[in-house]
Amino acid sequence: MQHDLTVFIVDDDPSVRDALSLLLGVRGYRTAMFASGEAFLQAWQPAWRGCMLIDIRMSGMDGLSLQMELRRRDCRIPVIIMSGHGDVSMARAAFKADAVDFLEKPFDDGKLIAAIDEALARARSVHTEQQRRSRSDTLLSELTPREREVMELVVMGRHNREIGPALGISVRTVEVHKARLMAKLGVDNVADLVRITMQD
Amino acid sequence: MPAFVALYLLFDWATYIDPFFGLNITPWNPDPALGLVFWLRHGWRAAPAWFVALLGGELLVRGMPAGWAVSVLGSLWLTAGYGLLGAALRRQFGDGGVFDSRDRLFQWLLIVVAGTMINDLGYISLLSAAGLIPAGQWGEAVLRFGIGDMVGVLVSMPLIWMLSSAAGRRRLRATVWRAETLGYLALAICVLYMVFGTIATSEFKHFYFLFLPVIWAAFRQGLFGTALIVFVLQAGIGALVKWNHAVNIAVHELQMLDAVLALVGFSIGIAVDELRKVASELKQTMRLAAAGEMAAALAHELNQPLTALGAYGKACEFLLERGESGDVLKGAIQRMIAESGRAAEVVRRLRDFFRTGAMKLEPVDPCQLVAGISQQFFAQMREHGVELKVGEMPPQPILADRLQLELVLRNLLANALEAVQEQPPGARRITLSGERLDGKRRGGKLRKGGCLQLTVEDSGKGVSAALAARLFEPFVSSKASGLGLGLVLSRAIMEAHGGSLWAEVDDHGIFRLALPLARPLEQDGEQVSYAA
Repeated sequence: MQHDLTVFIVDDDPSVRDALSLLLGVRGYRTAMFASGEAFLQAWQPAWRGCMLIDIRMSGMDGLSLQMELRRRDCRIPVIIMSGHGDVSMARAAFKADAVDFLEKPFDDGKLIAAIDEALARARSVHTEQQRRSRSDTLLSELTPREREVMELVVMGRHNREIGPALGISVRTVEVHKARLMAKLGVDNVADLVRITMQD
Repeated sequence: MPAFVALYLLFDWATYIDPFFGLNITPWNPDPALGLVFWLRHGWRAAPAWFVALLGGELLVRGMPAGWAVSVLGSLWLTAGYGLLGAALRRQFGDGGVFDSRDRLFQWLLIVVAGTMINDLGYISLLSAAGLIPAGQWGEAVLRFGIGDMVGVLVSMPLIWMLSSAAGRRRLRATVWRAETLGYLALAICVLYMVFGTIATSEFKHFYFLFLPVIWAAFRQGLFGTALIVFVLQAGIGALVKWNHAVNIAVHELQMLDAVLALVGFSIGIAVDELRKVASELKQTMRLAAAGEMAAALAHELNQPLTALGAYGKACEFLLERGESGDVLKGAIQRMIAESGRAAEVVRRLRDFFRTGAMKLEPVDPCQLVAGISQQFFAQMREHGVELKVGEMPPQPILADRLQLELVLRNLLANALEAVQEQPPGARRITLSGERLDGKRRGGKLRKGGCLQLTVEDSGKGVSAALAARLFEPFVSSKASGLGLGLVLSRAIMEAHGGSLWAEVDDHGIFRLALPLARPLEQDGEQVSYAA
């Protein structure tokens, strides 16, 4: 198991925090502990990768609020919610906010590990996705305005014959622009071009 | 058996007052009560002893006025008659308690009255036929013997019944072994002296005063106290009549009055007993409900150490698998021990609550308390679109059991949350505020050091005057589910704290609770400690 990802534990109970951290550490996960939602938010950096293990009932900011706040900040770290009392409405709220799992304390380690692995898998796919997207974003930003116009029409399925008159340029010029932008984006067919643009 | 016969003879001798023609026709005959209790305990096996006792009475107490044949015949008849009465009682009540409920009391009364009357008719007819009672006196004899028996049984049997079993004796002792008993006994003696001191002349027109000690005993000590006082009064009346040789008064009429007095006393006594039983059952129910809510609150606290324990345990397992045995493992195990201690503490508190409802009073900071509680509600409030406003709290700590007080506040907030949900979104508001009240507390009781008044207001439709009157009664609930014990418990908890809880009638919901402030002990620089 490669663990370039971190499990961020947010629980106001020091013993629970310590015990979970020890257990996960022994199992080879990298962990970081926070005593409150506020402490986590203060320390948080967009580059952090991994998953979060959040207790729902904490003094100060509660688990659901922390989850909401992370979404507001566009932090896409997958979240596992822990609860001391199986409150159905809270569980529903957590899942609505896209929690990976809802663990009822006390839980056995099998469930915990399964939930964390799923969350980390999700974190990895989110990360790959993000990388791909940021790469295509950079590529797209290198296009000239004219090339972008041409690309948009190509993606819409127009022929060069239609694009020329629409933009008030010759068909030949359209062909030049098209060849250039495809070279810049590193694609050799229209299907790949569509895929890159679809991400926005 | 010999003890029974001896006791029976003693009773017979002691109550051989104002006899009719020297026969065993007296105005108070408690001996059959002894016999009936004996019968209830032993069934048919009591018959021979009873027969011996009856015949012995004729021989030793009265000197056999009716002659051998009639005495034996009479005693046989009485044994059979009382035996039937005893059998009827035994069949009706089995070995269970006779004086447990009003229904049973009246069944007992009916059986005793009917049984003694039948017995009486047969016995007097027998004596009449033997020529021992002059012609024309038959009716008088029936009346006297019947009343003597009936009153004797009614007045004495409850006490003898209680004394006949170890459990009864224990309960009687527990009930009447207190200073108050001396009080009503003294009153009884005074009243007896007032009423009967000059019995030969004043008759008994002041008899009604005797109700006073009986009612006192019945209200305070239930049936057990009543049985005692009624027996004492009867014995007192008997003694006074015997000493004053007041044989010319209508003693059997006096006895009827006494029987009615006893019945009134027993009825009140049983009603009081039943009331107390119901009250203690209700208290038990409330304690269970309280324990249930406590359990829910404590479950959360128990979850934390259990979660930690599980995780530490699993971690230790992995460490061992890896062959580690150093400080990491030792540390984890030490922390496990600490966690199990923490869990045990939670369990101990729950158990203490079950056992005694014990409170752990300590100075509680209202700001922290309110912040903690409202914190638990924020998520729920947000989900239902309720605006929860928490006002400034005075900084002085209050004296309370934190867990119990949290229970009360949670209860009030949960009620408020439910109440505002009838309002459209946007009009759902709950306010939690606190202020310090000095000197006077609601209810007019003065309290040094003042108190803190916490108010939970909601924008629901409020409490109507009709509901306010019944709101704090158990099993009155406006909710579909629940026992309706929440507010009752909350008030009970508040009152146990020396505080109070009440609802105000208004167009929106207002619940207020008042709690005593903790007294500052000493002011030492910045450190202020508070006394419990």
